[in-house]
Amino acid sequence: MTVDFFRPGHSFLHRFDPRAKLLLLMPLFVCFFLPGPLWLPASYAGALALVIAGWLGPRELAVPLRAIAPILLLICLLTPPFHLRGRPLVRLFSLTLLTSEGLEETILLFMRFTGITLASFVVFRTLDLNDFVLSLRWFGLPFSLCLVLIVTLRYIPSLGATWRNVRDAHRLRSGPSQPKARGWMPLFTSILIEAIKGIPSLAMALESRGFGRKTPRTSYAVLPAANRFVAYLVIALAVSAVLIVPSFLLRR
Amino acid sequence: MSSDRPVMSPAFRVASVAVLAAVTTVFTYIKLPFAPTRGYFNLGDVAIAFCAITLGPVTAMISGGIGTALADLLGGYPQWAPISLVVHGLEGLVIGLVVTTRRDSVTVQALGGLIGILVMAGGYFAAESTIMGMGLGPALAEVPGNIVQSAAGVILGIPLAFAVSRAYPPVRQWRW
Repeated sequence: MTVDFFRPGHSFLHRFDPRAKLLLLMPLFVCFFLPGPLWLPASYAGALALVIAGWLGPRELAVPLRAIAPILLLICLLTPPFHLRGRPLVRLFSLTLLTSEGLEETILLFMRFTGITLASFVVFRTLDLNDFVLSLRWFGLPFSLCLVLIVTLRYIPSLGATWRNVRDAHRLRSGPSQPKARGWMPLFTSILIEAIKGIPSLAMALESRGFGRKTPRTSYAVLPAANRFVAYLVIALAVSAVLIVPSFLLRR
Repeated sequence: MSSDRPVMSPAFRVASVAVLAAVTTVFTYIKLPFAPTRGYFNLGDVAIAFCAITLGPVTAMISGGIGTALADLLGGYPQWAPISLVVHGLEGLVIGLVVTTRRDSVTVQALGGLIGILVMAGGYFAAESTIMGMGLGPALAEVPGNIVQSAAGVILGIPLAFAVSRAYPPVRQWRW
């Protein structure tokens, strides 16, 4: 089982300091919730789409949009009935289906959800998970929780392999057909027992590597130098200002 | 906590949480067909319910939260990761806390599961309608699916916890 959302590359987004990138995520989210004209969140979402298409490639832009398409459809269908004030735009006999306020709210929610999705996509598509965990450690997350994250990430592929082995073993015993509902329980039980039986040996491995001792820890992986972080932080702050200030200047 | 229970080292706690978080992530990746609607539901809630009943509220909270958040991060839905971290973490904590009152009672386990379902469906509804900016209508439309998925998790998780505890008794001592 090989799973990683990160796509390696050498673009400006890849070189961006991971800590500054994570800090930038906050204003990227907030800007979609600030009051202002409707074209503002639309232009932010458009700008994010251009950033993804320009730096990561047009195909990459389709990935998040395809994933959220059903939710966007739900927003288009189910938002207007909850906002019936304003000038009626679409009517079926005496029933008002769409009003000017409903249309405005639908566009706003559409752009907001698309923007949030694209912002998190652009950050995490270009952020190596090891750098992500190191950044969380830099932000003050306790070492034991970071260790949990790292061990979990290392353990997922081996557990995926265990899943396949156990499933194949069960199939060999019960025939080639997919396991039916009654076949799930033995399968899940075997996988869980196989997984939890590994806990004591994993704990011993952690202890033998010095986990729990008071001595200072060293690390193979390190984040980029502090001066590089400061440089990217200045860029992140400038982008934040560009995102936040217009909504105050153009407040409705 | 009974006095005859062996003291778990910090390394053992980290190991148990990490393994169960990996289990939750892998279970979240597994999609089972849901015949009536031809849709799919994931099994992340099965792992959370199992963990809460077998290994206790703290392990369930951390591993449930981290496991589902990592599944979102790795699976291409990073915008949901913070919400999954909190909502599924709370779900595991609540089920574990309720079950702690009477561990061997199936009624208490079912009650814990029921509260867990409410926490999960309510948490996602609140987050989707506010933080995610989806609005009330689409967030309401997601509630039935979340309830079905969470209920399936509890229905499968309770017998699974019983089966694993019987087949591998040492796990009863690892409750945290």
